[in-house]
Amino acid sequence: MSTNNVIATSRLTLAYDDGKKEIIKNASFRVGRGEFVFITGPSGSGKSTLLKSLYGALVPKSGSLVVGGFDMGNISHGRLQTLRSNMGIIFQDYKLINEWTVEKNVVLPLIIAGYSIDIQKTQAQKLLRHVKLSEHAERFPLELSGGEQQRVGVARALSRNPFLILADEPTGNLDEYSSNVIWDLMENACAQLGSTIVVVTHRIPTIFNIPYRHLIIENKGIYEVN
Amino acid sequence: MMFILPLMSILLGIEFFLVFDRVTTNYEEKLKANYSILVVTKKQMDEAKFKKIDSRIADAKRIERKKIAKDIAQGLGNTTGRDILNALPYFYSLHLNNYLDSEDTAEIEKKLLKDPWVKRVETFGESHSSKYNLFIFIKMLFWSFVALMSIVSLFLIVKQMEVWQMAHKERMRIMEIFGAPMLLRSAVLFRMGIVDAIVSALMTTIVFLSLKFYWADRSGIELLKERRDLLFESSDLLILISISLSIVIVAVMSVAIKSREVKE
Repeated sequence: MSTNNVIATSRLTLAYDDGKKEIIKNASFRVGRGEFVFITGPSGSGKSTLLKSLYGALVPKSGSLVVGGFDMGNISHGRLQTLRSNMGIIFQDYKLINEWTVEKNVVLPLIIAGYSIDIQKTQAQKLLRHVKLSEHAERFPLELSGGEQQRVGVARALSRNPFLILADEPTGNLDEYSSNVIWDLMENACAQLGSTIVVVTHRIPTIFNIPYRHLIIENKGIYEVN
Repeated sequence: MMFILPLMSILLGIEFFLVFDRVTTNYEEKLKANYSILVVTKKQMDEAKFKKIDSRIADAKRIERKKIAKDIAQGLGNTTGRDILNALPYFYSLHLNNYLDSEDTAEIEKKLLKDPWVKRVETFGESHSSKYNLFIFIKMLFWSFVALMSIVSLFLIVKQMEVWQMAHKERMRIMEIFGAPMLLRSAVLFRMGIVDAIVSALMTTIVFLSLKFYWADRSGIELLKERRDLLFESSDLLILISISLSIVIVAVMSVAIKSREVKE
């Protein structure tokens, strides 16, 4: 893999049911450092499956998948933890810890990395200001609207300046206004922090202000859309 | 808090077991020390000869005949103590290596009676074995109760583990997705579990210390009055804490492992 590639696959096959049910077959693609990539495809085409394999929740059936220099087919548990702690992941259902405050949720990656309470506090304030949720720091996720919860999810994904952000239908449950806020935040993350961002979505936003690549999943293959 | 009750019932069972084991051992020692076989012989015998008859005989003490002869002479008037002494057989009190049941003592009795110098043997077997059998019966009942209590408590622990899993699975999975190691994911459970383990061990200790310092004297049980230390030894606290911590560690680790994301 070239040093500029954050993700590189070669003849990648992903499957469920002990390899019997193939979802992606012989797919090859690369994602370079700092790129913003949308992956689209019809429902059930394997978008979320592909994303799962990128953060190590699904082991490739065959072919190679290298993420951040780690071979995902043979990655040890310890290395997977290291890789994940350097990634940001955004989910459609937010996956916030409901019994933790917004502030604590935002700094989860910092807690995992062992940062001091002071650094956690400073970073949380900065991120919550960035996603315009400063006044909600001490509230709990279930007290917030869907759009606000997803902003917390984005803030959490950004908290360690990750080299790669993966997002699974980040605006799937949101109204147009909240969706636009989330896309703005992600554009900024890519443009200002230089993070590589891979977003799985069924629809690319109509207004998007930075250059992006578009991959489509069709008939188990992954293709570049010009 | 929910974990304290099942933990405590297991610890109470274990401590009862330890106490009962100590009391039983002590009681057996006492029985052994107090138990002797009385042997009447025609001629004088020594300890080696008795040991040769049966190796389970630990020692043989000759019972002084002069006092017996003097007592008899007082009752008979014109007969002298020396005449009675000449007519009296020899008496021996035999102690055994271990506390033996009635079958074993009957076997020793048989062996002793085969010796031509032995006139009579008294094993007092019946009263001792009935006491001992009653004791064994109570001990068995108690152990069954402790075993039953432990099984019920284990079920409660398993239930509590399920509750933990329900309550913490989502949080642990999210933390795992973000790369948290198992210890960090289960830190909350470990903290709760360790506190429960220490509290339950201390509460069990308090129960037994109360028995030791307040109940033992009033119990009317001679053995416990004499040996209050049997009710709680300082090493018991260490045993209780180690056991409760081990149970907690196993329970938390199982919950943490079960809550791991399935790698497909």
